[in-house]
Amino acid sequence: MTEKRTVIGRVTRCSIRGFVGGIRLRQPDLPVFGGWCQAPAQGGETAVVGLIYDISIEDDELARQLAAADAPSPEQQADSQLNRPIPIELQALTVGYRRAGTWVQALPPQPPITLAEITGLEPAEVRAFTQRLDFLPLALSTAEVPADQVVAAALRQAAEARPRDERRPFLLQAGQECARWLGQDLGRLERLLRDLQAGGEA
Amino acid sequence: MSLDLARLLSQVDQLGAETAQRQVERAAALPKAQAALHQAAGLDPSAIQQRIERAGDRWRGASPGSEAWQISLPAPPLPPRWHAIGADGSQVYPDRHAAAQFCLVNVGSLCLTHGSGEAPVASSRPRLLFRQDELTTTQGEAVDAALVNGMRDVAEMTELADLAERFPAEPTLALLDNGLLLWLALQEFERRAPEVDALLKHYLGQMDRLRRTQAALAGVIDRPRGTNLLRLVELCMLPPEQVNPESARLRRFPNLVDRDLLETLLPPGHRSAMFQVVSPLNAAFEARGHGVHFFYLNTGYDGQIARVEVPAWVAEDADRLSCVHAGILEECRLTGIPYVLVRAHELAVVTQHDRSALESLIAGALLRQGIEPRISQKSTTKRWTASRRRHRL
Repeated sequence: MTEKRTVIGRVTRCSIRGFVGGIRLRQPDLPVFGGWCQAPAQGGETAVVGLIYDISIEDDELARQLAAADAPSPEQQADSQLNRPIPIELQALTVGYRRAGTWVQALPPQPPITLAEITGLEPAEVRAFTQRLDFLPLALSTAEVPADQVVAAALRQAAEARPRDERRPFLLQAGQECARWLGQDLGRLERLLRDLQAGGEA
Repeated sequence: MSLDLARLLSQVDQLGAETAQRQVERAAALPKAQAALHQAAGLDPSAIQQRIERAGDRWRGASPGSEAWQISLPAPPLPPRWHAIGADGSQVYPDRHAAAQFCLVNVGSLCLTHGSGEAPVASSRPRLLFRQDELTTTQGEAVDAALVNGMRDVAEMTELADLAERFPAEPTLALLDNGLLLWLALQEFERRAPEVDALLKHYLGQMDRLRRTQAALAGVIDRPRGTNLLRLVELCMLPPEQVNPESARLRRFPNLVDRDLLETLLPPGHRSAMFQVVSPLNAAFEARGHGVHFFYLNTGYDGQIARVEVPAWVAEDADRLSCVHAGILEECRLTGIPYVLVRAHELAVVTQHDRSALESLIAGALLRQGIEPRISQKSTTKRWTASRRRHRL
């Protein structure tokens, strides 16, 4: 099953709290903000689960050259947009790990190692991981990342991974959990709930 | 950084001075070479041929074709719809210090249909060579870098033939980013190891396939250092009776290359006259109908002069030659060298990052077989010293 996954990055640096990956991908394969991903650690014994909180496209000299040219042909434009792998760097916030088929919502014993493959979580895995929402305090307390927006985006994707009739109840439950942890900061909570609501209406 | 730049400063200054001095010498020699070109162009073709014959087998010059030497030809028009194919290769050489013995050839290609509005077809084909018979020659020696390069060149030509056969009756420009004479065979022609012969045979077989399509095959050499034309000019400066293998080797314009000679003769978009490469290897190509001809082309991009090599069946076919001339210009319009070659290189290149990932995969495969992946001690120590220092001032 692991072989069938699309590799969305390879770890270039990491810590217990998160990992950074670089890769060249075509535009249709680019990961999304708040996406659920994983990378193996401890020789494959664990899979560290992360939420993508930043995606940056590195400088690309050829694209710059074509952009500055008078008139790239339609074929060259299509090549750049559909074929050319875009050099991207993604950053993920660690929210848990999986060991022996069990999901744990806490920081992992070890981070992934350099060049470990970062792959997306399958919808069934996202559903399984978000059966519990114990990762919320860990994610919401992270400084120096847009934690609230990442959490909202990730929860919306977790809702999308569920059958249509389960989505709204899931988002309501998630909103209640967020209120537990952000009850002291109503402004922050309101913004996060608005983000979640946007997902529920979609 | 272990390179002591301070110790290099005076040498770098000398390098600058030396480069400036060479430029002065080139500027002084160029008018003389151009005058010699003009004079040689007026010689009787039979007198030139006589000189070439007297120069012997080791002379590496050019043989003139039917076009006037100083001619400058503008680009013909292109059809509204045509194909441009580029192939380029990259490789990982065998490393006796690695955990497992292997080498890798990776060929990237781009097939772009001008006038279609469609995205081109991009491809990257890696091939791992690891079997005993792939890593040793018939004499039992380890395959070396030169042979891997030969395999890569054959793989590039094979890729072009595979792609060109998809358009058997449509105008197609098939490009390599080097000369057409198999470099390995050029280096090892006299040794003629069975492996070189086999690769050469395979390479020529792919050229046969290309000839059977409508493809216009060409090798593009950016910033060429070729001197075949200059050597011909130098040869023509000798009185016929004084031409012999020794005198033919003497250089009169050692600081110049063909490109210098033609730079002022070619306006943007124009090509030079066609010449044929003179070498024993090209005689072998000629015997198969693939004798390599060349011309120089002002690509119209920043005044750059490229050398373009084509086989005889392109040089002698007006439609295919037009496709090469006008097609390369169009391909160079944005990127200076053909776009399909820029992209083929991008698709082929094996970066250090890719190589590390491949080595990790191989280590995993060894572990699954119960083998501990061990690199040599020398390789280990190199990694120690190459790794970034953790303590910085």
